[in-house]
Amino acid sequence: MHTYVSTDHLRFLIHEYLKAPAQIENYEKFEGYDAEAFDMSIDAAEQIGNQHLYPAYRIMDQEKATCENGVVWTHPLLAEGLKAMTEGGWLSSTAPAEMGGSQMPLVLHNTASLIFMGANANIAAYAFLTVGAANLILAYGSDELKALYLPEMYSGRFQGTMALTEPQAGSSLTDITASATPIGDGQYKITGQKIYISGGDHASVDNVVHLMLARVDGAPAGTKGISLFVVPKHRPKGKTASEGWEPNDVITAGIYGKMGQKGYVAAHLMYGENENTIGYLVGEEHRGLSYMFSMMNEARIGTGIMATGCASGAYYASLKYAFERPQGRHPSQKDPNQPQIPIVEHADVRRMLLLQKAVVEGSQALLLEASLWEDIALNDSSDAAKQSHLMLELLTPIIKTFPSEYGTMAVMNGMQVLGGAGYCNDFPLEQYYRDIRVNAIYEGTTGIHGMDLMGRKILMGKGDVLKALSARMQADIEACAKTFPDEANALGASAVALAKTTTKLMGILQKDGPEAYLADASLYLEYFGLVVISWHWLRMANVASEKLANGGKLSKKFYESNILTMQYFIEYELPKTRGLHARLNSDKRVTLDASPELLV
Amino acid sequence: MKILVCISKVPDTTAKISFTDNNTAFNTSGVQFIMNPYDEWYALVRAVELTEDGKGETTVINVGPAANDAIIRKGLAIGADKAVRVDAEPKSTHQVAEEIANYAKDKGFDLILTGKETIDYNGSELGAMVAEMLDQPYVSYATHMEVEGTTASIKRDIEGGVELLEVDLPAVVSAAKGMAEQRIPNMRGIMMAKRKPLETVPASAGAEHVAVKSYELPAAKGSVNLIDAENMDELVRLLHEEAKVI
Repeated sequence: MHTYVSTDHLRFLIHEYLKAPAQIENYEKFEGYDAEAFDMSIDAAEQIGNQHLYPAYRIMDQEKATCENGVVWTHPLLAEGLKAMTEGGWLSSTAPAEMGGSQMPLVLHNTASLIFMGANANIAAYAFLTVGAANLILAYGSDELKALYLPEMYSGRFQGTMALTEPQAGSSLTDITASATPIGDGQYKITGQKIYISGGDHASVDNVVHLMLARVDGAPAGTKGISLFVVPKHRPKGKTASEGWEPNDVITAGIYGKMGQKGYVAAHLMYGENENTIGYLVGEEHRGLSYMFSMMNEARIGTGIMATGCASGAYYASLKYAFERPQGRHPSQKDPNQPQIPIVEHADVRRMLLLQKAVVEGSQALLLEASLWEDIALNDSSDAAKQSHLMLELLTPIIKTFPSEYGTMAVMNGMQVLGGAGYCNDFPLEQYYRDIRVNAIYEGTTGIHGMDLMGRKILMGKGDVLKALSARMQADIEACAKTFPDEANALGASAVALAKTTTKLMGILQKDGPEAYLADASLYLEYFGLVVISWHWLRMANVASEKLANGGKLSKKFYESNILTMQYFIEYELPKTRGLHARLNSDKRVTLDASPELLV
Repeated sequence: MKILVCISKVPDTTAKISFTDNNTAFNTSGVQFIMNPYDEWYALVRAVELTEDGKGETTVINVGPAANDAIIRKGLAIGADKAVRVDAEPKSTHQVAEEIANYAKDKGFDLILTGKETIDYNGSELGAMVAEMLDQPYVSYATHMEVEGTTASIKRDIEGGVELLEVDLPAVVSAAKGMAEQRIPNMRGIMMAKRKPLETVPASAGAEHVAVKSYELPAAKGSVNLIDAENMDELVRLLHEEAKVI
């Protein structure tokens, strides 16, 4: 039994479901990444997870990060875990060879991330942030910024962050007020505050590099006036790192007492309190938000990975318990002298376990196919590659929110499997439950993504991208119908119902405007997500069925388990779309018309 | 310095063990294979430590089919300079030892390292057999090793203490826990491994002297009967009447 992630399932996805090595083999950038290199990399990631990350997971929660006199102290195991990831080459894995990187395909990097996040998101998330910040500098920074910061970030000596949120500007980045006054040579005096900055400060690194959004003096109002800056905790004394670093007037006001992820700090930062914070412009003025959002697909896939990793850890903890804990007897067994049975023998416990497995492995399929699409989109100019990019754009809200929302529900069911023990800290379920919850908030709340899906994504290309996805789904459903006719019919009917709902909502947009159209965007997002994950499950089961018939790399039990999980998802989770369908097709506008005054 | 490290492919420690062909063959269906940990963590890593940065050359050798190449590549990713696979189905330790000795006899290796045992059959035989075939000294269960010129200084754990040995090279040494710290391959090593030479040589061993007649699994463990801590009388009764140990 696995401890926190099934590498069998990850290998199934890579080699048999997505055939990822074959799909990227013709791209020069990925030379050498054949099936064997994928397997060796997955092995190496698993070893890091087993030896350096997972053993620290509970400890970092119990001995949480603290802030004393403006200095943030994290658990020493954080530094050890980051060192193992750095020495393994995982911080620079996707970076170009000329920067010392391994030019790893995102699909492989994210397979490893699913392992790292499953083992311990409280360590892996710091690395994820640094990689994201480094990618921004790599994409848009000057040669000077790249030379100064990237080697330090890839070597794990500098932490990277994304400094966006302010007290008055959370989901609404339009309202950012942090200011930047030009002082020449691409440098600006920075003033302002940032809150909830993950990894915002800690003493396990030599420096923290904030990729910060601020407004240059006189910039236009709204999102078009926002620029992106590198604002380090310690700034360079000269033009090169060898001249040393000095304090940059970035003050940590404190860290937040979070519900979970207690080893992963979120800081409140103050810039320019002594009028001595210098920021370095990334790219051009007023284009900061577009730069930041060009990296958002990656960041949102990352949040989905974090949620999936957490749900995966919870699943295996509850699965182990279900096989070990004897309690009760079969309903037909009336003899109290008969021994108690392991709780996995109870159908309702198996339901809760299958729910978790279906959510975790369905999310993994979604995340890795999305990552593969990104690899193809960034390395190919064919129409198929453009289509992959558009698919990724369309599904990004699902990729981020399904693992976050359903992952939370999955962990809740994992806790339920343990009963009272799940609520107590002798077992890790209560920690997983606290840790996963934030993912529905990170990188845009579920509500924001619902509006993104309906307000932008399904309208892309006048609806052509959505039509292309529907056509692809329909073709896959037909291909699976011979092996799984009942499940294919069920998914086909749900997909048609979703399409009809979309058409109806478009009519509401035309007739009643965006408020009515977007009122239940979160529910539409959930509906869409259930159909998309069912689509993945049907395809996965079809592959599993083929492997059962003709032989595959994994065991018979693995493939049978895969098919069982598909049947669970189509039978138990997909029908939830009926309730969502009814609500979204109702003409009664309860929430839209509700007076806030009645919320008493 | 030239070092040859013998590496074996073994089932992962979590693999469920079963047999086929009337209990004469190990059932490999659905089994994940790994490099024998004693070969990897101790023998290979120590060899790499002794030869890296231009101090020498480490070669890994495996006797097995092409399916073993993935395990061999891992050896290269950890830091071996080159690899050899003797293209033969391993059937007994004697046969494997003969293949390794035949390959090594004229290559001028200063050291031949093995793990102290494989985690599947736990025979601890290979090193001694290779040493005998090559007429070289053999030290087993080394927990620490330094090499100076043509002498290796070796420590190994003995009952109640540590034994210090010196052995003239060339020699064969089997490595135990403590010889080195496990290394996880990094991405640079993994990608470099693709470019390092992996030579395949034909089998050369003579007639097979050992044949497996059959395997047996250990008897299944009995279920656990938990007795309430307050119920000592019941515990005593069960120990007396059922377990018959008192």
